[in-house]
Amino acid sequence: MVVIIFTWVIVAWGALSCIYMLRCAWSRFPKRDVDVDDVIPFLYPVDLSLAESLLDPAAEFEFRWKLSPRQFREAQRKRMRLYLELTRRMAHNSRVLVEYADAEKQSADLRRANLASALQDKAIEVRLYALLAGIKLRIWLLLRSDILKPVLSQLRTAGDIDGLETYHALKTAATAAFVQLPPDEFDSLSRNL
Amino acid sequence: MKMLEFIPSCLLVVLLGVLVRRRVYAALPCFFGYAAFAVGADLARFAVHNYRHSYFLTYWITEAGYDILGVVVMHEVLHTVLGGLTRARWVRLIFPFLLITSIGLSVARAQATPPKVGGLLFYIVIGEITVRFLQVLIFAGLVTLVPVLGLRWRQYPFGVATGFGLYATVMLLTTVKFSDFGTRFKLLWGWTSVVTYSVAVLIWIWFFSVPQKALAPSSELSAPSPGDLKQYKDALRRMR
Repeated sequence: MVVIIFTWVIVAWGALSCIYMLRCAWSRFPKRDVDVDDVIPFLYPVDLSLAESLLDPAAEFEFRWKLSPRQFREAQRKRMRLYLELTRRMAHNSRVLVEYADAEKQSADLRRANLASALQDKAIEVRLYALLAGIKLRIWLLLRSDILKPVLSQLRTAGDIDGLETYHALKTAATAAFVQLPPDEFDSLSRNL
Repeated sequence: MKMLEFIPSCLLVVLLGVLVRRRVYAALPCFFGYAAFAVGADLARFAVHNYRHSYFLTYWITEAGYDILGVVVMHEVLHTVLGGLTRARWVRLIFPFLLITSIGLSVARAQATPPKVGGLLFYIVIGEITVRFLQVLIFAGLVTLVPVLGLRWRQYPFGVATGFGLYATVMLLTTVKFSDFGTRFKLLWGWTSVVTYSVAVLIWIWFFSVPQKALAPSSELSAPSPGDLKQYKDALRRMR
């Protein structure tokens, strides 16, 4: 019985995937022209210093030391919600950059295409980190934090990916990819990323 | 039915031609090997189709070959897609996990509804069902990553996975559902198998008909000018 259920689940998953690929082929989704105007206004600022402080084990230890267990649980939930928002922004920004890089990779200029490819690789890695960290955070928030005793500083890495380091690398890759922008536009990019 | 059986073979020859033209043997050598093997296997089966014993032997030997190559190709597909995403160690564990899950499901299915063959052929059939499970799991998993990670779907490994995924999904469905039809099952299974495999080969031809842009290694690019480097340094300073 269990095997039949598993088989049906796998068959249904496979069938849905076939339908999705058919839709992709039919609508040529997600191919669309994306240029720099489709990037900068769509980015959400990510405060990396805030993320650093949230993931700082010393700060977490200090909270645990100073606050009562109940106060600490409340503070920890707030910190988790805040970090979840940051990972959402990271995921969103990398999605925007993936789409841009996808269009840019079609460029005849080999250097631009290579820079776009490096940007896309980093953006996908950030998305993967954000996905894994987001799942972990949601589980922690869904279940009472007093059961799991979550340690936020453990989220610096998720799935062997160092989130903040990868996001810094994404910013560096974006710098290389957008280096030709006029200074004011480049400043908006660095502010928003 | 006899004429219909030759359609996939003809399409496989076309596919092999497209793969050679696109030099896929360098990017996906195992899939190229699979396509070459499929053409060879069809030729061998055709050559001995009038000799009952030889055909029986050739059929089952080539089926075993398809099983082994099916696993190898799916490993190549998964390695190509995930290897480019991250260097995380746990990524290497995904394929063994999926393979063990597929073997487990296949063996459990064989316990519930044992195949009507014995000896070595029993293991070949088990292997075939294992490969179908593995193909669907890898295909569906990769397709799920397209919207989640924003991956580009029109790339060669996704084409390979889509062809195999479609074929394996339909074959698993027929194996589960059409067995209810009793004696009519064999004819329906044969028709479905040939038609779906033809569609799978058409999918591969369609995916490989478009050249995939290969990026030049950075060593082949000319060094950036001092002006470019200064601009890049300034930009990095502003970004930090």
